Amino acid sequence: MAPDAILLEARNITKVFGGVRAVDDVSLQVREGTIHALIGPNGAGKTTFFNAISGFMFPERGRVTFRGTDVTRTMNWKRIAMGMGRTFQTPSVFPELTVDDNVRLGVRAHAGQAFRLFTPTGDAKATVDRRVDELLGFVNLTAQRDRPLSELAHGSQRLCEIAMSLSTDPVLVLLDEPMAGLAEAETDRIMGVIRDLRVRLGLTVLFVEHNMRVVLSLADRITVLDRGKLLAEGTPAEIAANEAVRSAYLGEGVLEHV
Amino acid sequence: MKARTELLVSAATVVLLAAAPAISPLVHLDVSIVSEVLVTAIAVMSVNLLLGYTGLPAFGNAAYFGLGTYGAALSVKYAHVHFIEAIVIGTVAALLGGLILAPFLLRRRGIYFGLLSIAFGQVFYFIAYRYTDVTGGEDGMQFPRPDAVLGGAHQTISELGFYYVALALFVLVVIAFRSVVRSPFGRTLVAIRQNEARVRYLGLNTDRFIFVALLISATMAGLSGALFGLLINFAYPLQLDWHQSGYFVLSMILGGAGTVWGSLVGAFIYVIGKDIISTITPLWQIFLGALFVACVLGFPRGILGSIAALRARAPDTFTDDDVNAAFDPNAPVEVGRGA
Repeated sequence: MAPDAILLEARNITKVFGGVRAVDDVSLQVREGTIHALIGPNGAGKTTFFNAISGFMFPERGRVTFRGTDVTRTMNWKRIAMGMGRTFQTPSVFPELTVDDNVRLGVRAHAGQAFRLFTPTGDAKATVDRRVDELLGFVNLTAQRDRPLSELAHGSQRLCEIAMSLSTDPVLVLLDEPMAGLAEAETDRIMGVIRDLRVRLGLTVLFVEHNMRVVLSLADRITVLDRGKLLAEGTPAEIAANEAVRSAYLGEGVLEHV
Repeated sequence: MKARTELLVSAATVVLLAAAPAISPLVHLDVSIVSEVLVTAIAVMSVNLLLGYTGLPAFGNAAYFGLGTYGAALSVKYAHVHFIEAIVIGTVAALLGGLILAPFLLRRRGIYFGLLSIAFGQVFYFIAYRYTDVTGGEDGMQFPRPDAVLGGAHQTISELGFYYVALALFVLVVIAFRSVVRSPFGRTLVAIRQNEARVRYLGLNTDRFIFVALLISATMAGLSGALFGLLINFAYPLQLDWHQSGYFVLSMILGGAGTVWGSLVGAFIYVIGKDIISTITPLWQIFLGALFVACVLGFPRGILGSIAALRARAPDTFTDDDVNAAFDPNAPVEVGRGA
């Protein structure tokens, strides 16, 4: 695929909850190799839009195309097999399992071993072991691998979730508010990992974020939602200068320092 | 548990079970009661796989248990099959029952899965209850214990013989069960219990896993039911009833959800408790209920689950500090898992 090919396209997405249009006719294109941010004030419909793209729920209207295939009504687990990875606002992990087991489940799933009724040995095991080591190394959790995930700090749980979403070898990673509830130091650590997703792994990233410092320093493209509608789209500089965006955020103070 | 400790405990348990027929007369227990413990433990394990490991409220496993019993009973009574064939027919009947019900059960999760399981179980209960001509209805049906035929040689199955058949099958089931719950498949079931959405976002169709878990569970319950029928030479509708499912669930929780040996402990307390208390008073259910309540209050994770949790925390050797810490009234107390 060409470097600026469209990897994911959402067209005219509408999602209604009991008469409220949480997302109203929103379109978005994510180009291969970019880090694309989705921002907007509280209640703008970011997560709902995200859920519609990732198959957590299906939109009432609109079309989602991923790698040239219509996936609007494709089951979420099939989208993963097609190369989509996703994290959630509250880390969606297996809290009672160890860090290693959390990542291993995904690696086994991708290796087609999850359905085995007997524990694999030999080559099958070695391949999985190698990949688990690699992923834990990537998010720097090797030292904590044998601890139950529930014992780890929030930021480490999120890193583990990112490793899990990478375990299925995605080309596109969807991150829903990866910095939510994190301290400044942890935010920097995750920002480094997100940059590495593109630089070291060559992946495309679409992420929802509140923290404007993060968005402006990470993203190549920014899409802004407000009250379920598309408000603006552009480069960080364009968005920072956009009057409509400034007034949508007015009172929240997030653009003060821009 | 460390691998060596586990092997030792397991081996000791099997040796103890092998010697049980010699021990049980000393405590005035019939060997057939010990057989019933082993047979029931298999049904309890079938609930454990769904509820303890996968987190699905398996409130209707008596349906498969009863299918196993009636499968064996009807084939012995009307087709005069032999002992081994009767076990196989009962087990396969339950597997077929599972194949029919699983596609419907799959569509629901949580409490709705539980309610559907009960409802389907009651359908089988009423069939056995109403279809009097064939099943004997409420009175149940008696049938002789058939001989086992291997290579043309007939072998009568005594109570002691039955016990060792049950023990052999029980050990095989435990080995297979332990292997399955530790396999990638079993780990995925545990993951489904903890967070099904994430399993789907690892690219796995969780329905497929639950489908297979249901079939394995139905087969185990069917094996247990077939053995139970051949043990007491009797089939009756209450075996299919939701109360029976409830006893399996209670025994499972009592022994320790999500532990391999917990089902044996739970089945032991349920069967032996029922046997002893019911010889003393016809109101045995009240006392058995009280026993359940006491155990659950004393061992919130089941007997084996609580012991495992204690062991996981305990260091290999104790120092004075450890002992002091253990008796520290201000030490934080774990209040539950849901927080």
